[in-house]
Amino acid sequence: MYNFLTQVGRYFLLLKKVFSKPEKGSVYYRQTMRELVYLGLYSAGIIAIISFFMGAVITLQTAYNTQNPIYPKYLIGLGCRDSIILEFSSTVAALILAGKVGSNIASEIGTMRVTEQIDALEIMGVNSASYLILPKLIATLLFNPILTIIGIIVGIFGGWIAGTLSGVITSENFIYGIQYAFIPYYIVYSLIKTVFFAFIITSVSAFQGYYVEGGSLEVGRASTKAVVYSSVLILMFNVVLTQLLLS
Amino acid sequence: MITIKNLTKSFHGKVVLNNISVTFEPGKTNLIIGMSGSGKTVLLKSIVGLHEIDSGEIWFDNTLFNKLDFNEKKTIRSEIGMLFQGSALFDSLTVEQNVRFPLDMFTNKTPAEKNDRVNFCLKRVNIINANKLFPAELSGGMKKRVAIARAISLNPKYLFCDEPNSGLDPITAILIDALIKELTEEYSMTTIINTHDMNSVMEIGEKIIFISNGKKNWEGNKNDVLHSECGPLNDFVFANPLAKKLKAIMK
Repeated sequence: MYNFLTQVGRYFLLLKKVFSKPEKGSVYYRQTMRELVYLGLYSAGIIAIISFFMGAVITLQTAYNTQNPIYPKYLIGLGCRDSIILEFSSTVAALILAGKVGSNIASEIGTMRVTEQIDALEIMGVNSASYLILPKLIATLLFNPILTIIGIIVGIFGGWIAGTLSGVITSENFIYGIQYAFIPYYIVYSLIKTVFFAFIITSVSAFQGYYVEGGSLEVGRASTKAVVYSSVLILMFNVVLTQLLLS
Repeated sequence: MITIKNLTKSFHGKVVLNNISVTFEPGKTNLIIGMSGSGKTVLLKSIVGLHEIDSGEIWFDNTLFNKLDFNEKKTIRSEIGMLFQGSALFDSLTVEQNVRFPLDMFTNKTPAEKNDRVNFCLKRVNIINANKLFPAELSGGMKKRVAIARAISLNPKYLFCDEPNSGLDPITAILIDALIKELTEEYSMTTIINTHDMNSVMEIGEKIIFISNGKKNWEGNKNDVLHSECGPLNDFVFANPLAKKLKAIMK
């Protein structure tokens, strides 16, 4: 318990350092642009691929489990839309990003720690926590909502393709279904969750990397811890946010 | 000038540096020597503020460095250059971006002025046609020289080198030593070097302190080191068979 509280304390102290005034705005801006590409843009492909196939599977699963004349066919489209918007595009995508982006951040910062690159920054008088973590936080907070939107669009498109090509639903029914009883707030709900999850992934992973002690073995362990802790926190906050935002 | 007074540092209750006092003079290559694990690197990192010390005083000229907060230390740190054991070049930046990093961060020079300074520093350490290479593409000796170029890019008053010769062949090691000594004299820097390389000791040891078991056991220069009566120092200096024979001949 003592160890847990110590870690929580160190995490918040690190955040305090991260949010202190940057030394040079132009350098931070350049760094943020770089992170937008590496952490954001380079994640778009994996999100698009997974969303497409998840949308396809959700459509087929819904179709095969609702083969009853009582249920109108357009409910397949509605089910696909709500599943993608409410959970997949935010929570499941966040779990995927925890694996891709989280491990990347922890191993990058961890390697910089064990090879004394962070010490080199400190010696120069650079606030290393802020320089290394703040641009990553800004990049993921800005870009992850875009990834969510991409996930929603591609996921529903995947559902439409799978549904129509397999013949379980007509194109008209599917399109009617994704428009039926649409609640725009669900998109807002999904985006709010995404922003929270982006903060969790980046800050927890950076924390794990920043305080690595030892060598490459410890960097690997920090990377694993980053993914595990981020994933658990995402799932916990998913429950809390769902209750707060949908109740 | 850097003055250390009664510096003590411990980790988890184990005393690593015990009551060390020493003055490092400007324009000279000051060496900290000792066996592996004797506390040399901890002393160096304590001086530059990477380790919080338990007690004692660290003076950079007339400023009591260890009592300053992070922001106050920035002024002194902008005057510090450091060469790390593993070079510590930023992997994601090219050679020229590494050398330009301190200029980007702490100066308002124009891009052209920065480029001039970068090229001057790289030329000064004999790195030519490698501006666009990444650290992973450089040899050990080149990495050290680029790290020196980065360390001197802001014209530091103080230069710290942690094992500058580790992992280098003897000829490259001599070149690095010579370069550090030249730069020290050229810019009148206060240079402190951690080493256990006896070639460095004999080549550039203008002031030497010997650390053993966390204590300063001896202080002198390269001319004194061969004639010292300090037992632990003699064990260190004359550790290999050839050196032992030399010592016997000298006697």
